[in-house]
Amino acid sequence: MSEVEVNRAEANEIWRSALRSRSFVIGAVVTVVFVVAALVSFLWTPYDVTELVIADRFKRPSAGHWFGTDQFGRDIFSMVMVGARTSIAVAVVAVGIGVVAGVPLGLAAAAKRDSLLDEVIMRSNDMIFSFPALLIAILITAVFGPGVVNAIIAIGIFNTPVFARLARGAALSLWTRDFLLAARVAGKGKALISLEHILPNITNLLIVQGTIQFSLGILAEAGLSYVGLGAQPPLPSWGRMLAESQTLISIAPHVAIFPGLAIVLTVLGLNLMGDGLRDILDPRLRRARN
Amino acid sequence: MLSAANVNLSVFDTPILRNVAFEIGEGEIFGLIGESGSGKSMTAYTIMGLTPVGSKRSGRIVLDGDNLLDKTEAQMCAIRGGSVGMVFQEPMTALNPVKTIGEQVGETAMIHGAMGRREAAALARGTLDRVGLPADRFPLDRYPHELSGGQRQRVVIAMAIALRPRLLIADEPTTALDVTTQAQIIMLLRQLVSEDGMALMLITHDLGVVADIADHIAIMKDGEVVEAGETVSLFRNMTHPYSRALFEASDHVPDRTSSQATGDTPILEVADVVRDYQLPRTSLFAPPAHFRAVDGVSFTIRRGESLGLVGESGCGKSTLTRAILALEQVQGGTISIDGEPISADAEIAHRARRKMQVVFQDPYGSFNPRHRVERLVAEPFHLLSEKPSAGERRARVEAVLANVGLAAADADKYIHEFSGGQRQRVAIARALIIEPELIILDEAVSALDVSIRAQILDLLADLTARLNISYLFIAHDLSVVRAITDRVLVMKAGQIVEEGPTEQIFKAAQHPYTQALIAATPNIDRALAARSKGAAAG
Amino acid sequence: MLRYALKRFLSLSLSLVAASVVIFFVIEVVPGDPASYMLGLNAQPDTVAALRQELGLEGSAIERYFRWVTGVVQGDFGVSYTYRTPVSELIADRLWVSLPLAVYALTLSTLIAFPAGIVAASRRGSAADTTVMGVTQFGIAVPNFWFAMLLVLLFSITLRWFSAGGFPGWEEGLISGIKALTLPAVALALPQASILARVMRSALLDTLDEDFVRTARAKGLSRSQALWRHALRNAMIPVLTIIGLQFSFLLAGAIIIENVFFLPGLGRLVFQGITQRDLIVVESVVLILVLAIIVVTFLVDLAYAWVDPRLRQRS
Repeated sequence: MSEVEVNRAEANEIWRSALRSRSFVIGAVVTVVFVVAALVSFLWTPYDVTELVIADRFKRPSAGHWFGTDQFGRDIFSMVMVGARTSIAVAVVAVGIGVVAGVPLGLAAAAKRDSLLDEVIMRSNDMIFSFPALLIAILITAVFGPGVVNAIIAIGIFNTPVFARLARGAALSLWTRDFLLAARVAGKGKALISLEHILPNITNLLIVQGTIQFSLGILAEAGLSYVGLGAQPPLPSWGRMLAESQTLISIAPHVAIFPGLAIVLTVLGLNLMGDGLRDILDPRLRRARN
Repeated sequence: MLSAANVNLSVFDTPILRNVAFEIGEGEIFGLIGESGSGKSMTAYTIMGLTPVGSKRSGRIVLDGDNLLDKTEAQMCAIRGGSVGMVFQEPMTALNPVKTIGEQVGETAMIHGAMGRREAAALARGTLDRVGLPADRFPLDRYPHELSGGQRQRVVIAMAIALRPRLLIADEPTTALDVTTQAQIIMLLRQLVSEDGMALMLITHDLGVVADIADHIAIMKDGEVVEAGETVSLFRNMTHPYSRALFEASDHVPDRTSSQATGDTPILEVADVVRDYQLPRTSLFAPPAHFRAVDGVSFTIRRGESLGLVGESGCGKSTLTRAILALEQVQGGTISIDGEPISADAEIAHRARRKMQVVFQDPYGSFNPRHRVERLVAEPFHLLSEKPSAGERRARVEAVLANVGLAAADADKYIHEFSGGQRQRVAIARALIIEPELIILDEAVSALDVSIRAQILDLLADLTARLNISYLFIAHDLSVVRAITDRVLVMKAGQIVEEGPTEQIFKAAQHPYTQALIAATPNIDRALAARSKGAAAG
Repeated sequence: MLRYALKRFLSLSLSLVAASVVIFFVIEVVPGDPASYMLGLNAQPDTVAALRQELGLEGSAIERYFRWVTGVVQGDFGVSYTYRTPVSELIADRLWVSLPLAVYALTLSTLIAFPAGIVAASRRGSAADTTVMGVTQFGIAVPNFWFAMLLVLLFSITLRWFSAGGFPGWEEGLISGIKALTLPAVALALPQASILARVMRSALLDTLDEDFVRTARAKGLSRSQALWRHALRNAMIPVLTIIGLQFSFLLAGAIIIENVFFLPGLGRLVFQGITQRDLIVVESVVLILVLAIIVVTFLVDLAYAWVDPRLRQRS
């Protein structure tokens, strides 16, 4: 068997156990639905979200408008579809920033355990941990003004120490394993070992944490946009839809219900998928099941 | 007093125990022997009613006329710690880290409603005194992390015997301990048995331990008792082939001509090596303290020679290994391989490692689980300036696998497809592939069952006979060292206290520490001889 | 113990110093000239100069940082440009809304999460466990400000049990103050309680697998005795970590929730500061929030030592 075939066999096994995991299947389906909705919204939405039809305002959900209309007569279903774009894009990029910045820092800190580098990296992490994403966003916005890019940067900075700590912790426990000692005796340097032995062995952890940070990112984006520090008009965003609906909640509750439900379902889907992935990818659990 | 008959246990429909039967008499020491997976620990858990989720049990375990398998959970709680106590293998994790030893020992009494807090504390004090932890050094408010492994095991024993149970079950109570500590714990158990007239069920893989103290023994394999009887007569006339194989493997000496050392060419020279560790600062202003893990060690290994390095945990042998492998910089002295000095400098370390490789203790942690054997075994090729081509790499991996008794097709498997003994063969293959002059075997057979251990020792002896490789054989187990080495170094607290040809050391050790080590090592022949002498005299 | 506390204190003080440098740098150095930034594009040069004078913008950034820090240590955060009052007074007023809200929410969250987590862990796989796991799965996914809107819809608009927002002030009495903070605190607490309950459950399950629990069972403790007497205290170590982290989420969440309920807290202050470009206010509020988070981290570190004797070595 070639290496490709072996990896395919392993991949097949992972897929089989994935389909057996109920929470993974449900979570993945929900996530895929939202991702597809976001992608489709680039090509088609039931109504144009920029078109204001004051005559149609505050329509209750009906066959014509599945989620009803808002105070300007815009179709809420279409806006939820377009809002998914913002949420998903912000969260994905912010997770990307966290992984790209955090993982190498964590691996470097673990490889040089107890060195000055480790100390500096970990202390900076501690410091960032005392700034919740919202405070970072407040600082950035106070100086640069509000905007979706600033929201991404704020959430990305917040994600960095999460991945750095995770990578460092997992790498430290791997560094005590004999197979890394064996690799050093085989003449490999710490950087090469981190890349060749450690990174592949912590990928599963990173994927699981990635889904969790993804869902936290969606919540954070909604929160920032809600208080006006994130997406700005005319960019539709679930958080901003909620902010605009707040004063109308006694007149037209449905305007506030659907964007909120969209957030809850997306986050729920991602969390379920993360839980499922953890069970599927954790080799300890897999061995126990077989 | 306790009799088990027809005991069957399955966990999620996987049979674990089959028709297990034995009897333990009043005040008797009963040895239950088996290799890993034989079901010996599960037998103990079945008696205690602590079998895992998904267990189905049948049969009878009768204690004083009552079948324990019919008892309710509440009734079992009264029996556990009351009339039956239990001691476990891993003393480092068996105690609650956030409670004092006094609380934990006293708890046994309080849980059984026998007494209040003050009386329980008094009982805890008395019991800790009995297990050799006197009040002046071990007050009740000590926490487990302040004690050594042996001391923690004494606390666990104190918890188990606080209410003077009729039966004490000890599941591999000394396996995780050094030999001298092991001997002390066994002595303590024996003393408690005779003081309290309690029965002891001693579960172990080590025939030497039971040969010394058990009245009766039973040997288990694959969930069944294959042979049982009075200790001395069972050792004299083993009938079951498995018992005999186990007996022979437990002090197996591979066939080897005593020394292959060719001439006096030294392959490894260690001269006055010192390794200091900086301890964490205790104050911002005082200079940090140092701990000298290796203190002026010197020795040489000749080409083709097998040198043993023996010492208990913490003596500095692992630190010395890491220094020789150029994984850590030494603070004094020199290490040279084949005449070239070694240092942690990348370039020099690289060259040195072409001449020496290592096999580690843990066959499970030594390999990246995501790579196939071919890649794992070929990893040391990284040391060569000219890497072999893919075809050549494959050919050399297959050749070296054949050398260690594995098949060429094994190169395509992942490491989890192998048993512990096979993994250790893969580890040896990885060490051999760049044809080093020296292999360092760091407790390489310590984690293996005796029958597997015997096979690996044979393999090592065969390899050195064919390839004229030198070994540095590091171990805490003296009987293994005796079987495989030409010369022995004994290390204690960072220093070599004794050195000499293996047989000479074992027959006439000079240093008191070496003598203590040898005396503490369980030995079947010696134990049986002492017992028959005792019987003759009595 | 004292040494451990001192060490943590030093380390966290360093964090605080570093945080103050970052805040100062972002607010006062990055925009170039804060005075012209605050006044906007159409400002007259002499107004800018006057503000520069007022803000004390002479000297290098390092000098200004030390001047600022010296003032802050003495309780002088400067004067708000828009309110024309000392920022310390503004903060002191608002702090008496935001801090009680966060503490109230943390208390609620702990009171809900502990029993739920313990019940779920001790009856693993039971209906109670499944319920806790299902409800908390939802709880984690709900954004607290949306949950707050739903609470307002139900309890204020429909049932009229609570007012939909505003804060009467503590001088109106403790009861009415607490009543005004109840819906906001519930909205903040439930998502956090969901996280905490799940952490509690999994920490307990992990600890129940430890060897020392088996030892405890072997000396006659029942399953629930082993959980209460041995597993719980060990499980507190990860739970404390989460409680510490939650406080910072609750403070940040409080800023958002204050918007839903129109509470005159630090959150409202900081958003007004942002819209009016009052950098002095923003800078001070962020510093105060970071200080609060670091103080809580320190308290959690002390709690670790209380739970875990290994941290308070006698040596």
